[in-house]
Order: sequence, then structure tokens, then C-alpha cells
Amino acid sequence: MSSGDIKGFYRQKKKNGGVTKPSSSSSSSKKSKSKHYTGGASVGAPNAAQTPALVTRGGAIDLKEEYGDEEEALRQFDMDMKYGPCIGVGRLERWERAAAMGLHPPLHVREVLVGLASGSMACSSKFKCLWEGLV
Amino acid sequence: MADSEMGEATLERKLAVYRNLDERFVIREEKYKGQQFSHIYFMRLHHMRSQLQSLIPKWKPHLPVNTVLGLEEGKECIIVGTLYKHMKLKPSILDEYSKERSAIPLVKPHNFMSTDDHLILEDESGRVKLAGPMLAPSAFVTGIVIAVHGKETSEGDFFVEDFLEAGLAPQVDRPLDSREDKFVAFVSGLSVGTNAFNPLQFQLLVDHVTGHLGDENEQRISSKIVQLVIAGNSMHISHGFFSGQTVAPKDHAKLTEPIRELDIFLTQLVAALPVDIMPGCNDPANYSLPQQPLHRCLFAGASAYNTFVSCTNPHHFELDNVQFVGTSGQNIDDLYKYSDAKDKIEFMERTLRWRHLAPTAPNTLGCYPYVDKDPFLIESCPHVYFVGNQEKYETRLLQGPDKQLVRLISIPRFCETGVAVMLNLRNLECHALSFSTNL
Repeated sequence: MSSGDIKGFYRQKKKNGGVTKPSSSSSSSKKSKSKHYTGGASVGAPNAAQTPALVTRGGAIDLKEEYGDEEEALRQFDMDMKYGPCIGVGRLERWERAAAMGLHPPLHVREVLVGLASGSMACSSKFKCLWEGLV
Repeated sequence: MADSEMGEATLERKLAVYRNLDERFVIREEKYKGQQFSHIYFMRLHHMRSQLQSLIPKWKPHLPVNTVLGLEEGKECIIVGTLYKHMKLKPSILDEYSKERSAIPLVKPHNFMSTDDHLILEDESGRVKLAGPMLAPSAFVTGIVIAVHGKETSEGDFFVEDFLEAGLAPQVDRPLDSREDKFVAFVSGLSVGTNAFNPLQFQLLVDHVTGHLGDENEQRISSKIVQLVIAGNSMHISHGFFSGQTVAPKDHAKLTEPIRELDIFLTQLVAALPVDIMPGCNDPANYSLPQQPLHRCLFAGASAYNTFVSCTNPHHFELDNVQFVGTSGQNIDDLYKYSDAKDKIEFMERTLRWRHLAPTAPNTLGCYPYVDKDPFLIESCPHVYFVGNQEKYETRLLQGPDKQLVRLISIPRFCETGVAVMLNLRNLECHALSFSTNL
């Protein structure tokens, strides 16, 4: 029958439900990764079955549904209404704009974005906002 | 300087120190990445909200300021947001797809107001319908940021008891020590290339301004004109040419003749005094605001002179430390379509009180989708505010609550009226110059 882990059976909800006030930057850095249920009709099917719904962010297939803490912090920055709309403007540009307006955006977000630009794992999709290519 | 041999004095034209401040309207570094207009509205709301928040304590110090989402029924408070006016007669692209053909009127009215219009206030968290007799929708348009005091009703509307506009921006003091009269001439709507253009009438204006007309007294007056501003619609290029299709050789002349004719007149003008030329809705410039300066290649003759300055629309400049801001008329014409006032000058006053040159942009007025700024915000109140291509010459001296003094000028279309406007820099007095070729 099913494995004993009932939480693993159902698709996990978003870590913070719905539109909320932004949590303080320190709490988002330590989040436990949880198991996700991916596609397929049968329980226990291999992760390889990818549906078109998982194609995101400029056409690159999101092979890992789990996203790291860094991406989580970046998405929180995207969703925060205080810094204005996120669609149509790059994350770094939006951060610079927020800084120029005196809104004091979280510094660690900028560090992540600047680090990505110079790091070996430069992944261009991280510079685009959460909804890029989807809306 | 007197030429003693001839016994005649050579009159010298007065000079004024000119500073062009169009930089914020020039599109240089902006890159279009597919963004929409949410960003310009966000910048506008953020900027205006901080201005209003500094004024609210003096207005109603004991009331809390809420967000729209934070409204509680029956609780009196203040909310700040962008106004949206819902107008059922406003033309919408979706009407083309409407199944009810009969609902579309065949004749387009010039004004889209109806008694059903209502106002909605919106901020980042949500929007709420504004109710109550305090805010008459006919006096407002989409895109202005205000603060309203009232409370949420049981129907979910916000009943307005009072409202606050930002009011005239602070003004830099005008220099009051000038003893001599110096004049600035304004003209707009020359429409070279149409049947309405009368070359003799315009030549009279050119001759008067350059000092080739009249006796010594009149020449003395002309020598005091330090600047000419042409506020848009100097030419009229038939809109059929803007469709992007190749122009047949036989039609080439229709395209280039008006431009060449205008250049001949302009060369006479720039040889005599500094001239600022702004684009208008009929000129060969981009459609959306801010319109970029007309290209130098259009004016082969005039652009050789350093007195020739091609400007943006809106145009901001300084003459002897007097601040001038003006447009070619699109901002006021759009207000006229979506709201009501007793005259065009009242529309101009409202834009100053709302601290925004073109509040209906981008809703009904074409505008560039800026991401990090809204260049039409008025941060410092000008001393002279002019609008071109209007029906008639009107002017008023507006006094603000903080000792601001603004000369408002509505410049009429020259091709229809033959009227240009003269402004005295010393005391901001204004009068009309009328040219007629009728005997």
C-alpha cells in the first residue's frame, strides 16, 4: 500500500500560504526541504515523468521542484509589494530601483544576485522574476 | 553702440541666460524589455504618497492613515492612492469584439463623460469605490494621487468626507532685481503644409520678431525679445504618411515641401534670435509622450545656427533664472476629453495642483513605459506654464498658498487665429500679438 509518509503523498503547499507580509530575512534562510509528489497517476511513480505544467522560466524545464533557500529568498523579494511590481523588470534592476527610492531592500538578496553573476553556476533564470515567461 | 558717422544708433538685441532642462524627458538609456505600465504608476504613487504624507499631519493630524486592505467598516481614517475613473463611454478596444453592435455609437463624441462615471481609489493592496457627494467625478481623471478622509460603508464603498490634493509644489524664488524689460515670444500651431497656413501672416510675425518691420520705436520693442518658443504643430504631415508604407515618388513633394518651407522661415528666425522648437501631435516625431526633439536633419538651414534648439515635449527651460515648463497641448486636450472645467486655464491649474503634467498618461494618453521614474511629476512649481495649440489666447496669474506665483498661458493656434503671445520676464505680464493680412 502507500508508504507511511502521508505528507509525502499529497503535494506540498507553498511554504508561506498566499500573500502575506514579508517575513524577516533571517527566518527564510533556514527552511527544511520537503518531499514533493510529482506528476503521474500512480503512487510511487518515478520523478522522471514531467508534465508541461512544470515548464517554467523562459522555456527551461524545472527539473527540480525543490528550490533552494536562495531562490526562496529571491521569490519573497519578488512578491513583496513594498518594492513595486516585479513583472517586466529584472530582479537586480528592481533591487537597485528600490534602493534608489530609499526603501532599504534586504542586502542579502543583492548578495545572492551579484554572487550569481560572478559565480560558476551562473544561471540566468535567477535574474528574471518569478513570473517571467509564465504571464 | 552708436555709429557716429551715419548719426544712427544700431540697436542690439537683449540677451538672457538660457538653460535647457529637458534631460529628464529625453529617452536615452531606457531599454524596452516588454514591461507594462505598472511600474510608472508605482513610481507615481510612491512619490506622490510621500508628498501627501508630509501634508496630512497639517490637514488632519488625529486620523490614522490606512491601506485599502486595512479598512474597517465604520472606522474613520485616511487613505492615499491613485484615482481610477470608471467611464462607460470611454472607447475600449474590446468594443470591436462586442456582440451587441447597436451599443457602439456611430459618432464619436469629443467628450466621454457620463452621469454614471464613478471614482475608485487604488493602492498596492487593493481598490475601493469612492462614494459621497464630496468628489464630483467630472472634475477628476484617472491617474492622480490624492488622500481621502472618510469611512468604509456596509456596502463596501468608502464614503468620502473630505479630500486632499498635493497642491502647488514649492517654488524657487524668481529674481526680482531685473530693471529692464525682456520679452519671450510664444507661438504654436503654424501648420505649414495645410491650407490654413498663410505664409504672409507668418512672414509678418517673422519680420516683426527679427526687427525688419516698423519704425525705430517698433524695432526697439523687437530688440527686447530674447527668445522665441514654438510650441508644437509647426508642420502638418498628413497622417496617411505615418502608416509605414512606401511613399510613391509623386507624393514625395507632399512629404518634404512643408518641412522645407518651415526651414526657410526658421532660418530667418534663428539668424536673429534664439529659437526653441517643440514637436506636437502633427509633427514628424514619435507619438507617445515625452515626444523626442525633432531631428536636426529636417532643418538643414536652421540647424547650422547655434541659436536653433530642438526640444522635447514637454519642454522645461530656464531664462535668467525664471523657470518655464510647457507642452504642445496633448496633456490638456486629453483632460478636456475626460473631465470638465470652465476653461483650459482651469485644466492647467489642476495639473499644477495635482503636481503632474499629464495625469491621464498612460491611461488614455500615449506614454513611454518607464520603469524607474515618472518624468511628468512636477517637483518644483514653474514661474511660467504654457500650453500650445489651444483654441484661444487665455492667461491667468495663479497665486499659491506658499507665495508661489505662476503665469499660465494658453497659446492659440496661429494658423487659425494669427495670434502670438509675448511675456515680459521682468514682471510676468503677458499680452497678445495679433497679425492679420485682411485689409
